[in-house]
Amino acid sequence: MSTSQDLPGIIQAKLSSGEAAITVHEASLMQGWVRASRILALVEHENECALFIFISSRMPPEVFTDLAIERVIPVDADFKCEIDAGEQSVDVYVNISSRKLKLLFEMIPGLKTNNFVSEIMRSMEALSKRRGPPPEFQWLHKYSGSSNRNSADCVASSLDTSDDDAFKASKTEAEKMLDILDSPDIVVPRQSIAQGATPIAARESVIRHQMSMKEDDYTFTQTLRMFIGTWNVNGLPPSSSLTPWLASDLEPPDIYAIGFQELDLSKEAFLFNDTPREEEWRKAVMAGLHPGGKYRQVALVRLVGMMLILLVEEKHVKHVRNAAFETVGTGIMGKMGNKGGVAIRVEIHNTSICFVNSHLAAHVEEYERRNQDYHDICSRLSFSKFAPVKCIKDHDQIYWLGDLNYRITEVEINTVRDLINQNYFPALIQYDQLHRQRSQNNVFEGYHEGAITFKPTYKYDPGTDDWDSSEKNRAPAWCDRVLWRGDGIEQKEYRSHPILKTSDHKPVSALFDSQVRVIDVVKYRKVHEEVMKKLDKLENEFLPQVTVDNTEIIFDIVRYLEPQSQELIIANTGQVPVQFEFIKKLDDSKCCKEWLNIDPPVSFIMPGEKCDVKLEVFVDKKSAFKLNSGVDKLYDILVLHLEGGKDIFITVTGNYERSCFGSSLEALVHVSVPVREIPIGKLVELETTKEAPGGMEPYPIPKEIWFLVDHLYRHGLKKQNLFLLPGLHSELLAIRNWLDNGSSEPLPGSLHSIAEALLLLLDSTSEPIVPFNLQSVCLGASSNYLQCKQIVVQLPEYRKNVFLYLCFFLQELLSHANENGLDAKTLATVFGGIFLRDSPRPSARANSTVDRKKANFVYHFLVNDLSDYVVSKALHLGPSS
Amino acid sequence: MAKKTYDLLFKLLLIGDSGVGKTSILFRFSDDAFTSTFISTIGIDFKIKTVELRGKKIKLQIWDTAGQERFHTITTSYYRGAMGIMLVYDVTDERSFENIVKWLRNIDEHANEDVEKMILGNKCDIDGKRAVNKDRGEAIAREYGVPFLETSAKANTNIDKAFNDLATAILDKYAGKEPGDAPDRVMVDPRRGDTSRRSCC
Ligand SMILES: Nc1nc2c(ncn2[C@@H]2O[C@H](COP(=O)(O)OP(=O)(O)O)[C@@H](O)[C@H]2O)c(=O)[nH]1
Ligand SMILES: [Mg+2]
Repeated sequence: MSTSQDLPGIIQAKLSSGEAAITVHEASLMQGWVRASRILALVEHENECALFIFISSRMPPEVFTDLAIERVIPVDADFKCEIDAGEQSVDVYVNISSRKLKLLFEMIPGLKTNNFVSEIMRSMEALSKRRGPPPEFQWLHKYSGSSNRNSADCVASSLDTSDDDAFKASKTEAEKMLDILDSPDIVVPRQSIAQGATPIAARESVIRHQMSMKEDDYTFTQTLRMFIGTWNVNGLPPSSSLTPWLASDLEPPDIYAIGFQELDLSKEAFLFNDTPREEEWRKAVMAGLHPGGKYRQVALVRLVGMMLILLVEEKHVKHVRNAAFETVGTGIMGKMGNKGGVAIRVEIHNTSICFVNSHLAAHVEEYERRNQDYHDICSRLSFSKFAPVKCIKDHDQIYWLGDLNYRITEVEINTVRDLINQNYFPALIQYDQLHRQRSQNNVFEGYHEGAITFKPTYKYDPGTDDWDSSEKNRAPAWCDRVLWRGDGIEQKEYRSHPILKTSDHKPVSALFDSQVRVIDVVKYRKVHEEVMKKLDKLENEFLPQVTVDNTEIIFDIVRYLEPQSQELIIANTGQVPVQFEFIKKLDDSKCCKEWLNIDPPVSFIMPGEKCDVKLEVFVDKKSAFKLNSGVDKLYDILVLHLEGGKDIFITVTGNYERSCFGSSLEALVHVSVPVREIPIGKLVELETTKEAPGGMEPYPIPKEIWFLVDHLYRHGLKKQNLFLLPGLHSELLAIRNWLDNGSSEPLPGSLHSIAEALLLLLDSTSEPIVPFNLQSVCLGASSNYLQCKQIVVQLPEYRKNVFLYLCFFLQELLSHANENGLDAKTLATVFGGIFLRDSPRPSARANSTVDRKKANFVYHFLVNDLSDYVVSKALHLGPSS
Repeated sequence: MAKKTYDLLFKLLLIGDSGVGKTSILFRFSDDAFTSTFISTIGIDFKIKTVELRGKKIKLQIWDTAGQERFHTITTSYYRGAMGIMLVYDVTDERSFENIVKWLRNIDEHANEDVEKMILGNKCDIDGKRAVNKDRGEAIAREYGVPFLETSAKANTNIDKAFNDLATAILDKYAGKEPGDAPDRVMVDPRRGDTSRRSCC
């Protein structure tokens, strides 16, 4: 597009100062089932980014006032961008989502789209690397009508994006513009869809999108009891039953996610990631589970000392899908596995859940390292077997557990112990680093943690409930924590289990009632079927549609050389532009018979518009003899094809009024009355049998030829340029009528018209006077008069008669050459082309040598004495009959 | 996960004398509607409809043809490429039934050799004016080895079944050639191997 260079400038003009459009791109917003043009811009303001969606009153926009901001989506932690390019699909589908808002854009594949998407990705990456408080997007408040930053807006938009277009909270600038725009820019799903060419890969994205919008219609919620446990076991093997930790509740949980840290502190474990402890602790877990349930291990993942086991109650196992696990080391050199995280993700019913077990950096003062570790895990941990890859944040529910290692600082150790002894935890939590860092939004943004009502779980003398008595005398801390993120999660318990004394940490557990979305299969089918139906319906509606005002075109009476036309009106009554074409049928070489002309045969019609097509019937020498002989009829079926759609058949018929023009010499000599006076059937019979009706004595030459020649003989011998100048079309028609109908009036028309009529008459027969099969012989003989003579003598009788008769006449004309200025060479050239007409077969193409030979052939008969030919007396010129 | 959910496109064709109800059958199938006004089809038109068979989504592209005598030579050129053909007659019209043989011959001459066929005796809702008994329909179907159903576009009898049966026959024929769907469910194998080793150093 030529103006697209200006686009960034136009967008920039629309923005406020300090806001910079990093990249700008055109895309189609899939609104329900219709695509609408939009302009997207990634806008930056003081290191904060947002995606702006513009509507333009014209495409492409020319000035910034053409634009209205439809929506502004901040690139925050909730912002997601997924690309969906099916293997076969022609377009790229980009899903932009933020909380409950989901938008699907279609983009044309190519460098521009790649650049645009990578800029978005880059801004998301920058966000995840960002330190300090999360962006606040103050600068977007002035766009609040179009922003969905706060959650109230968000709900509103999620409701109405389901099917129709705009954002209903208040009339936005964009909405007003939508009202003004008389026709929303409706675009067809690609033509290839209609043709079924790239069947449906492209549709899949639309279907997935629609299904996710309608999730509420086919899912219900089911509550699952989740047990999330974490324990730093200080490299020790299990020494007592885990039942007091894992099975301390009355009811058995549905799901266990159990994480360990410092499973093995040996060098082997660290360097080779190999440890017998994995199996020992796994067995201990299996033995310590709630006896009220039967559990199946869905996944186990371990990185050095961090291990996470996911167990699911047997009755739920069949609803667990797409399990995957990943690990990230953030230890020494930023990658060793002594610190970091391990994660397992699954889908339970229709809800995606991610469990993360992490062991963050140690040491009291290192809380920033811990924040850093958290962010590294978030940005580096991705489940790569999915396309697009899934990260931790791409899950409906996230449970994050582990030894997060945050300490209690900036308070006297004795005060800490006092507060603990008084069980006065709300005061103590104020000194908890995690609590502080979270309230400053430096870590675990968007996560929740329940109130802590248990003693710090670190650090004890192993085997006791006594605080660390080593010389380090560490202050107690809530190192071991469980946090969560997502909807429908209710924490029931959050506690430690001091009775387990193996380690210097106490195990912690959290119990949740978590709602997962369960697909109602029957409803799912129904919704899915509806979606399919809707798409089918749309696809059918978007097929090209036209109506034609007439599918049976009838031409009343069609006469030789008299063109007639009728108009066919093709109206585009569909929703999409239509390209139509009259196409060839079966083995035909053209889209219609040779007596018909279609104008235009191919064209393009916009929806609501019409196209007039002119159908012209014109019977000339090429088709007249076929119609006369019944080989062809004025009947044709035209196939009007709509590109990517249906074909319409248009029947064209007419009554051809037979004429001497196009009749064979053999037939005409048998007709004593004007051609129009004998019934059509008879004429056709004559053409096929060439025998006289009722045994009449045939004329030596057709009377029509005689009439014309006789007239010229009497009145035209002195006429200049006879046969060289054209006649008048109207006079030709009058002459035709006179010959065909008979008349007592004298032959109408000027001498030139009569001369031309004669040529036409000879030129319209199915075969020329010298039959096609003799032509090459004639050309070969053209330099030798005797051989030429030989050929002429052997011509079929009536042809020979006509040939000689005309030559007599031409010699007569030449005898008046000093008056009429004609010469033998010129006449020989004119009549050579007629007597030795080229075959219509394309192989018999004329060239100048052939034309010269033809002229030579005729020339002999114009300059030699013809009196020794045995010819009928009737051929003599002059007033005889 | 980018799954290709459906990838099959079947081209079907409706043929039979004019007025037997071809257009009505297609209209019923695609739009679930019926109209009693008769607008003769002048040309070739198609509609699409997606169906689910044996767990696969299949897009049917169904071509409706003009039945009038004068268009026969043209319409036969559309037979090629059709994977399934419905031959329709009208149970109240003896002639349309007699012409079935002619239509069958047409198929032999112009359609793909392995095209799936089906004969439909339409308008079976009309009781009073019935001219062709079900037995005769069944007999001719048996003779030519073609499945047969009596249908009514008006009463919506056997319309879905007719298309589903025809599409299933085509699907079964191609079934051997399609790679089987990989199961969607993956359980993570709790072997220690992979993860542990991969993530160290
Ligand atoms: N009673 C009845 N009438 C039908 C049925 N199917 C079609 N018709 C009517 O038969 C006429 C011709 O139908 P149409 O579908 O246009 O036939 P086509 O020429 O084969 O496409 C219309 O008036 C229809 O309403 C049916 O199942 N029962
Ligand atoms: Mg029809």
